[in-house]
Amino acid sequence: MSSMRLYLITATLAVLTLFNFVAALQGYRASLAEAEQLFDNQLRQTAELIANLPTGHFESQLRQRDNLAYQVWHDHELLAASSSTLRDPITELLPGFGHANFDGYRWRTLVYYDGQQDNWVVAAERTDLRYMLAESVITQAVLPILLGIPFAGLLIWLIVSHGFKPLRDLSEQLKNKQANDLTPVEIPDLKSELEQVNHSINALMRRLGTALEREKRFTADAAHELRTPISALKVQLHNLKEEIPPGNESFSQLEAGVERMQHLVEQLLSLYRSTPEEFSHHFTRLNLYRLAQDVIANQHQDFENKQQVLELNGVDAYVEGDPFALTTMLQNLLSNANKYTPPGGSVRVTVEPTGNHICLKVEDSGPGIAPTDYGKVFERFQRLNDKRGTAVAEGCGLGLTIVRHIADLHRARASIAPSSFASGAAFIILFERVTPHD
Amino acid sequence: MQILLVEDDRPLAKGLQTALRKQGYSINHVETGEACLHVVATEPPDIIILDLGLPDMDGLKVLQKIRDRQATLPVLLLTARDTVDDKVTGLDSGADDYLAKPFDMTELLARLRVLERRLGTVKSTRIHIGDVSLDTTNQTAYFRDEPQELSRKEYMLLKSLMENAGKVLTRSTLEARLYSWGEEVCSNALEVHIHHLRKKLGSDFIKTVRGVGYKVAKP
Repeated sequence: MSSMRLYLITATLAVLTLFNFVAALQGYRASLAEAEQLFDNQLRQTAELIANLPTGHFESQLRQRDNLAYQVWHDHELLAASSSTLRDPITELLPGFGHANFDGYRWRTLVYYDGQQDNWVVAAERTDLRYMLAESVITQAVLPILLGIPFAGLLIWLIVSHGFKPLRDLSEQLKNKQANDLTPVEIPDLKSELEQVNHSINALMRRLGTALEREKRFTADAAHELRTPISALKVQLHNLKEEIPPGNESFSQLEAGVERMQHLVEQLLSLYRSTPEEFSHHFTRLNLYRLAQDVIANQHQDFENKQQVLELNGVDAYVEGDPFALTTMLQNLLSNANKYTPPGGSVRVTVEPTGNHICLKVEDSGPGIAPTDYGKVFERFQRLNDKRGTAVAEGCGLGLTIVRHIADLHRARASIAPSSFASGAAFIILFERVTPHD
Repeated sequence: MQILLVEDDRPLAKGLQTALRKQGYSINHVETGEACLHVVATEPPDIIILDLGLPDMDGLKVLQKIRDRQATLPVLLLTARDTVDDKVTGLDSGADDYLAKPFDMTELLARLRVLERRLGTVKSTRIHIGDVSLDTTNQTAYFRDEPQELSRKEYMLLKSLMENAGKVLTRSTLEARLYSWGEEVCSNALEVHIHHLRKKLGSDFIKTVRGVGYKVAKP
């Protein structure tokens, strides 16, 4: 993911560097041309000076300079020269500036004609030395501009970072928000550009909050609306039961149908209730073993009806959780075991600490689940067709999805393994351990 | 036994009336909280079955107003709300019992019987289950019509189990009913009482649910 801050910093720095570089280059070239002009003027003055010196005094009057060479000609005869080796004319005797190569260097030349004495003065300066001199002067002027770029970069970086702080604060706050936290985002010292964003986010939060609240109320209403007619159906069934001969096939089908409808409604409601928005602020420390006792006590009749042996093993074990959700979880695990275990079978519930976890295990002696199906079991509306559930599957396929939902809400891990009976499945929920004291 | 049914859902109310009349109860039915309070004021019933979701006022408010006038009138709440909080609120407001919809008719009848016995007005105060019967007026148990000598704790234990026949009562529930606060409970006291009861009432009358508690099968 690209960062706006990084983009702004690099782009600004690139532009700054480019422009500074071009400016420096341009300045360098302009200064060089200016220096050339200055040196040429100096050369002309030197040539005029040489022309005005009395003959025979050149050597004494002119300090020997490496970068200067001269010749004085009179009527094609060499009167004087800066060096004895310079016997030939340096350049053609035409007045004006030019260039010439001799003595192993390139020279800037000036031919000056002195009309009074009919003398030709040729003065020359080494171009490389001229350049070196000019360059050292110019470099000192341009260098600070180039050296300033890193400092400018550092400052830009600090300014952009500071400027982006409100945006970073906002994104940090949003990142740290819990899924169920719908309180408004508060940014101190809000910049005008972010005001609308912040306002929209908070408005969205508010709308989401009301929508959730409405949904919750709708569910409560729906629960009432659905449960009351089901109650009426059940009461009427109870009344009907005494009027028709026992063992009536249609009647037992009817009874089973109402039972299923009731089950589905309850499961749908618990599925809704096991959304993150609904829980987590109700978490309390509770004894899972006690909870298991209560749930088993309430559901024991189902097991007795199928002559199944249901037992609870283990010790007091404390977890952080929502009692209602965990009750639903255990109820679902138990009815699952009850449903898939044949009459006369066994179901064992175990609550015990294992290392850093509290392990809740529900084992049955049913047909078991093929390991390849372990992943599928917790999916919504999933009812396995191969090993189990050909004749007995009366459920709605939501029970184990709810189990997993609730496990997730409690940061517990739900998994399946073979049971310790001769056949059957074990559903294992691993909770984080909590100390029994505050 | 006069029961006042306060329920605004007509099909449910009709079904309940039929079922309860068959059990020999006399039923009056009203649909609003206002009407309920009027009946309570003019001809108070023996038991009220009160639905919490009434059209004119909140059921808990009705309950409070009933309590203001009739402190001991037994009230059984019916409700479509079912969270633990709702249940606690209901019982805290002075309800004697609480039943979440959709309920089993047999469950409702069992709860009514308990309330009735609490009133002490019921003609038959005997609970019969299998070979065992319990007379709650003279606190005597009968096994195959032979009276059995019971200690006070044994009687309370047996009454709890028989009143909740078909349900498993956890060890902690039973211990809470047997012992008041501060009274020391030996770790195996409950087992000892159960053992004595089994000697008197036959070994398979009270069933053990391992790790959970005890139960008496439904009649």
